[in-house]
Amino acid sequence: MKNTFTQSMAWLHTWAGLIFGWLLFAIFVTGTLAVFDKELSHWMQPEIPASTVSQADVAKRAISYLQQHQANAGNWGISLPTERSPGLSVSTGDRRHGVVVPLDPNSGEPLAVRDSVGGNFFFRFHFTLDLPRNWGIFVVGALALVMLAGLISGIVIHKKIFKEFFTFRPDKGQRSWLDFHNASAVLLLPFHLMITYTGLVIFMMIYIPAGVDAVFEGDSRAYFQAQGNARVEQPRRLAKTPADLVELAPLLAQAEARLGPIGSIGIRNPNTAAALIEVRPVLGNRIALTKGNAMVFDGVSGRLLSDVPELRPAPLTQRVMAGLHFAQFGGYPMRWLYFICGLISCAMIASGLVLFCVKRGRKYAPADSRADAAARRWYRVAEVCNVGFISGLMVACVGLLWASRLLPAELAQREAWEVRAFFGLWLLALLHAGVRPAKQAWVEQLALCAVLCGGLGVLGIFAGGVDHLRLGVEVTGLVLGIGLALAAWRVACPKPAVVKPRAARTMEAKA
Amino acid sequence: MSETPTWLRILSRSGAALLGGYAFSYASTACLARILPLSPADAVIVATLPAFVFYTLAILWAFASRDALRAWAPLALAVPLALIGFWPQALRWLA
Amino acid sequence: MISLVTGSLLFAYAGMLGLCQGLERHYKQVWQRSPSPALRLSLRALGWLGLLLSLLLCAQAWGWAMGAVAWFGVISLAAVVLVMLLPYWPRFAVALVAAIPVWSVLHLFG
Repeated sequence: MKNTFTQSMAWLHTWAGLIFGWLLFAIFVTGTLAVFDKELSHWMQPEIPASTVSQADVAKRAISYLQQHQANAGNWGISLPTERSPGLSVSTGDRRHGVVVPLDPNSGEPLAVRDSVGGNFFFRFHFTLDLPRNWGIFVVGALALVMLAGLISGIVIHKKIFKEFFTFRPDKGQRSWLDFHNASAVLLLPFHLMITYTGLVIFMMIYIPAGVDAVFEGDSRAYFQAQGNARVEQPRRLAKTPADLVELAPLLAQAEARLGPIGSIGIRNPNTAAALIEVRPVLGNRIALTKGNAMVFDGVSGRLLSDVPELRPAPLTQRVMAGLHFAQFGGYPMRWLYFICGLISCAMIASGLVLFCVKRGRKYAPADSRADAAARRWYRVAEVCNVGFISGLMVACVGLLWASRLLPAELAQREAWEVRAFFGLWLLALLHAGVRPAKQAWVEQLALCAVLCGGLGVLGIFAGGVDHLRLGVEVTGLVLGIGLALAAWRVACPKPAVVKPRAARTMEAKA
Repeated sequence: MSETPTWLRILSRSGAALLGGYAFSYASTACLARILPLSPADAVIVATLPAFVFYTLAILWAFASRDALRAWAPLALAVPLALIGFWPQALRWLA
Repeated sequence: MISLVTGSLLFAYAGMLGLCQGLERHYKQVWQRSPSPALRLSLRALGWLGLLLSLLLCAQAWGWAMGAVAWFGVISLAAVVLVMLLPYWPRFAVALVAAIPVWSVLHLFG
């Protein structure tokens, strides 16, 4: 585009970063929140009690409920209480269109739990932007590519990576924004590259089906068969013969000894001679993503029919990369590492967006500037979108949590209303940014977001149902709220009153 | 060349990045999947894993190359790569 | 586990601090004078040693595969903390390494 390689890359980085940065920020924020999706889901449904009942007992209760109410269903699913999500629920029908009934793990009776999209909304938004699934996957994939291109072009144009490795000079306007953008990008570069590339790898067969097209003539069924992903099937006629279901507890113990903590059980054709029991572990015993892996038992004899597969090196590589993105391994310390790294990624993207405006502010912002009207209007659009897509999105995210607690529990189509609240708040924030001067809009939205984050604990006090998971969400909200309040305060008073004398002196000495 | 309006030049480069880049990474994946000395199931995976490296390089190329025509080079490069990847299909089509 | 993770974070921080103070401009930023070449070299060597110890602690906490992944996150975060502290409270940023002996005592005898 320009005369030199570096100039071209700078042009690409600036404009691709601006235009796609707004949505990338949304993807990174929701992805960061999705690290704690189960915990957020639990918080958003305060009716779910904590329980200390063993998994074997809970499974027994779930089975006796299903025997009583759904004895003839073709499929049973049981989602067991785990460390991250203490709820118990049973389902019938297939996975996408099934009917889910939450149960009380302590009694085995149905539990009146409000419908809520839960933290799952952030997870889904993260890879589909709430568009129809396949469209969303492609849009997010394209954005991830832009992110990769942005990272590489960023490395090219940042010439002093090692010389300014530890450099951050605060209170210097544009300089400080650039320093922060550089530092947060360079110091977390392994994380940025890893998370972006592995994100693309998850759906790589959808994005680039070239290998299947060339080698398997586009027949994806043949490809999956070649991978050895065949499903255990029982002869169909057996499904007509009634038979007693085997006792679950020994199977669970066997599976737990082999796979670690168990997450869910699926039973196909229960109460027939064709019954199959699939026991799935919670994800995260290893880095490789083991989604869909299960030990399959005969539902009548209890014999093990198929074990979790040992992966060949190539599929293992793919699973490990997907697993690195899903961050289900390594327990809570790892989850926190991912969460904080994610937050810094968000801040990196946001600082780049702000930098765009800060850099051009002196030229375009004043009403009497000599820049022509069209350029000034475009500058204003960038400014409004920055506020609406950065602080506005954060308001919408925490607003979703508030909506889950405040909307009436018996509201029809409650989940749809929660999603409407999310997008409604986001739209309002964009409009608000459009009618207010940029600085006021920043301060007001950041302050609102801080209050909403900090106030999660207040909602918790009123609703009850406090346990350590919900408390964790509320405390994290409080800490983030304090951070946002500090940000709002720094925007409101750009020259902070308290500058440490020594730090100031060092600055002068260097300048 | 210098008379072309800016928006058209940007559009051409973006098209080269998006379409040329896709064609290039698609074709190189197909080519790799064909020639890698692995079982077909493994070759497909190993060939697809680096696809996004090719795509990213093509995007950067599209904006870095000196003249607008060369920005479309990945698209041209995709043709021979695709021919290698799809040679059985190509032969059948010719026959 | 928590103790090992804390330790790996502290050593990663100390390691990054060593590397940082091994650079003239950042040494000056804290002490207002230039470091001798020998001091610079030993600070850098200590820095790498800190990072290495941090890797060992990560491996102890998570095993080598997950530990290596965690280590990248740990050293990145430690560096971000250092970079954010340095311009505001430079002496405090250096004094923070005093947490390592405290941690060692707690880890060994706690």
